[in-house]
Amino acid sequence: MFNYYVRLALKSLRRTPVVAALMIGAIALGVGVCITTLTVYRLMSGNPIEHRNDVLRAVTLDNWDPNQPWDDRRPELPPYELTYRDAMALFESDIPSRQVMMRKGPFVVESDPALGVKPFLVEARLTTKDFFSIFDVPFEYGGGWDAAADQGAQRVVVLSKETNDKIFGGQDSVGKNVRLDGKDYNVIGVLAEWTPTPKFYDLNNGSFDGIEEAFVPFNIGQIDQVQPGGNVNCWRTQPLNSFQDFLESDCVWIQYWVELKGRDKVEAYQSFIDSYVQEQKKLGRFERPLNNKLRTPEEWLEINRVVASDNSVLVGLSFMFLAVCLLNMIGLLLAKFLGSAPLVGLRRALGATRQTIFNQHLVEVGVIGIAGGVLGIGLAGLGLLGVRQLYENYDTLTRLDVTMSLTALVIAIASGVLAGLYPTWRVCRVQPAAYLKTQ
Amino acid sequence: MEFRPILSAMLRNKTGVFLVGLQIALTLAVVANAVFIIMQRVEKIGRPPGIDSANLIFAQSYGFGPNYDHRDTVRRDVDMLRAIPGVVAVTALNGIPMSGGGRQSGYTIEPPTPQPNPTTSNIYFVDEHGVDALGVKLIEGRAFTEAEIQYNENPTNSDFAPSVIITQAVAQQMFGDGPALGKPIYDNLGQSAIVIGVIENMLGAWVGFDQPSNVMLQPRLSNGPTIRYAIRTEPGRRDQLVPEVEKKLAESNLNRAVTWVRPHTYWVERSYRADSRMVAFLSVIVSLMVLVTALGIVGLASFHVSVRTKQIGTRRAVGARRIDIIRYFMIENWLLTTGGVALGLVLAFAFGHWLSSTYSLPRLEPLYPVAGVVLLWILGQIAVFVPARRAAAIPPAIATRTV
Repeated sequence: MFNYYVRLALKSLRRTPVVAALMIGAIALGVGVCITTLTVYRLMSGNPIEHRNDVLRAVTLDNWDPNQPWDDRRPELPPYELTYRDAMALFESDIPSRQVMMRKGPFVVESDPALGVKPFLVEARLTTKDFFSIFDVPFEYGGGWDAAADQGAQRVVVLSKETNDKIFGGQDSVGKNVRLDGKDYNVIGVLAEWTPTPKFYDLNNGSFDGIEEAFVPFNIGQIDQVQPGGNVNCWRTQPLNSFQDFLESDCVWIQYWVELKGRDKVEAYQSFIDSYVQEQKKLGRFERPLNNKLRTPEEWLEINRVVASDNSVLVGLSFMFLAVCLLNMIGLLLAKFLGSAPLVGLRRALGATRQTIFNQHLVEVGVIGIAGGVLGIGLAGLGLLGVRQLYENYDTLTRLDVTMSLTALVIAIASGVLAGLYPTWRVCRVQPAAYLKTQ
Repeated sequence: MEFRPILSAMLRNKTGVFLVGLQIALTLAVVANAVFIIMQRVEKIGRPPGIDSANLIFAQSYGFGPNYDHRDTVRRDVDMLRAIPGVVAVTALNGIPMSGGGRQSGYTIEPPTPQPNPTTSNIYFVDEHGVDALGVKLIEGRAFTEAEIQYNENPTNSDFAPSVIITQAVAQQMFGDGPALGKPIYDNLGQSAIVIGVIENMLGAWVGFDQPSNVMLQPRLSNGPTIRYAIRTEPGRRDQLVPEVEKKLAESNLNRAVTWVRPHTYWVERSYRADSRMVAFLSVIVSLMVLVTALGIVGLASFHVSVRTKQIGTRRAVGARRIDIIRYFMIENWLLTTGGVALGLVLAFAFGHWLSSTYSLPRLEPLYPVAGVVLLWILGQIAVFVPARRAAAIPPAIATRTV
């Protein structure tokens, strides 16, 4: 019976090719536009560290200006980075099973002249050893460094895959040397391809930038006075006339993450940072009310407004467009079904039940939905091709995957059937007598 | 005119009319708001940058190693760059306008109190060629002299400059309508500088900043090891000079890396990319929506024509002219559109209100929905014309035939 209905549906659609094309086209356009904006939205709103969401926390302390909150529009928020001195103090705690303090800094990379690579500038991340394990960073060769390297500011470096490709042509370079700002560093690890999107661990220096090109121990930054490569924000009126002045200042520029396994650890750490700030208050710092926050990666992405409001507006508008497409389809379907009312009347007179008529027309609507969905996936693919022209560095991420293709199909069929319910119901109510009379 | 019969005919197909009316209403709501957003973004992108963006090249050099001498390198670089034929002016500076990265600080016209209310301004450290090299328009005072250019060996310092050049926007905000020239301003440490020049306009580092034209030039050589150059070329020579500048810089000194040499438009495009993206997305949605709605109107009218073939034939047989039939459908469509846009106006303002309160966007200007109404009237009349003409072509003889 089902096959028969499908055949009837195809036949009916072929009888009015223009209307059929308009209906399928409308669904396809609506679905295509929605899937395109949804894909972009999903890319923006992704949480690449979701699987560690319950144990990771971004640490923020409110050391800001007593007269003015960090963010005028959201006065409840503490600054999103820490001062150097507070980061160093927090690092003493053994409550977190792992923790990392870090920041960016520029270095010129020179390699063996025999390799023929011109010196080039990289953005390096100066970080402590747990960075690689806490964020599940994948290695191609070697690995990260140990506590001794952190302590002694040993000149070791982990290269990104890109940098290793550039200097060593992708070879295993562990044990080789590169020069950073004129000093020799030993390569101890090379990362595999890693593109956390958004770059959750440092959202204030380009949420959608690629990862840093090299990673070196945090303490090297102080010894070599490496200038900060990311955002620095200061509020206190204090002359800064040396690097030491800067390190001791109330300027915020350090990102800080901890790993806390279990709720009691989270609570213990919260009271640790609170009592640290209370101590500091006695020294005349932290003049604002106590406002220290531990945020999960998800909360962190939310607070930092990684998803631009533009994207939400676009998704909203796309669904309104889909609504218009569906209204359009209902109108056409109604006209088409009622146009075939005499035929339905005849079939009813010959003994077809309302249920049969209903099923038959619903199958027809389903066929339109499927066709529209398939075409819509195609249009979304085209749309994303266009999107790729608009977004740099997003190539791999603006591809249509299986999830989104299935979503497209589900939206198309569901909305098609929903839109088809009313015309189908109307055509079922056809009174056979009314049509037989005029024939 | 025959409004009543048209209305009663429409009421016989309530659902179809309601569907298209709702479609028109939604279209108006979306199109008015989307075009409003598009126009704002286009206006933002089109703001004059104040600097000679089209003829500017920026280059960055990063010194390294024990043999790097920052001051000497900069001196040699600017001399070398200024000697290149086709180059109009060159300045060393610390940042790139409109690039999304920069430096800002607060300044007051009195020595700062414990609770100051400073004017926040972007800061660019330039040399004595700064005004010429950026191509900003000096409307009062003078440019910096070579003797004024400050330099502190220590990369971390809180020095201020003896003199500054500010934009009109800063002058207005700090001094109101009074003269700014020759007046002192203070940084947050209470150090003062004299305003020696006012420039017409210049956009700072962040295009999305709510005070984008708050910019101050200070006569200072920025500390190493990073240094940037603004290289202003003769019109039309920019693209040809980019590789030449890159080559000359790279060859001239082995103790530094030339990180990049790029036309200024590179950053302008990058900074406005989110806005251009929004414009592109919204334009596509608006055009598709108008198209789908127009097709919907054509579809409904065609359906009406086909079910009324007999009545139209009868009307023609009893004396209606073709123009009467066409007019009938045009008026019907006009009534339909008017009903749709009436609801649409309400939806448009409600949607606009929601957008502005949820995403803190500006409130929808009434001009846009009103223009949308006119557009939809015209669109409806055009869309209905084809089926209406087909209806008019129905011969009167059809009425005499039985179906």
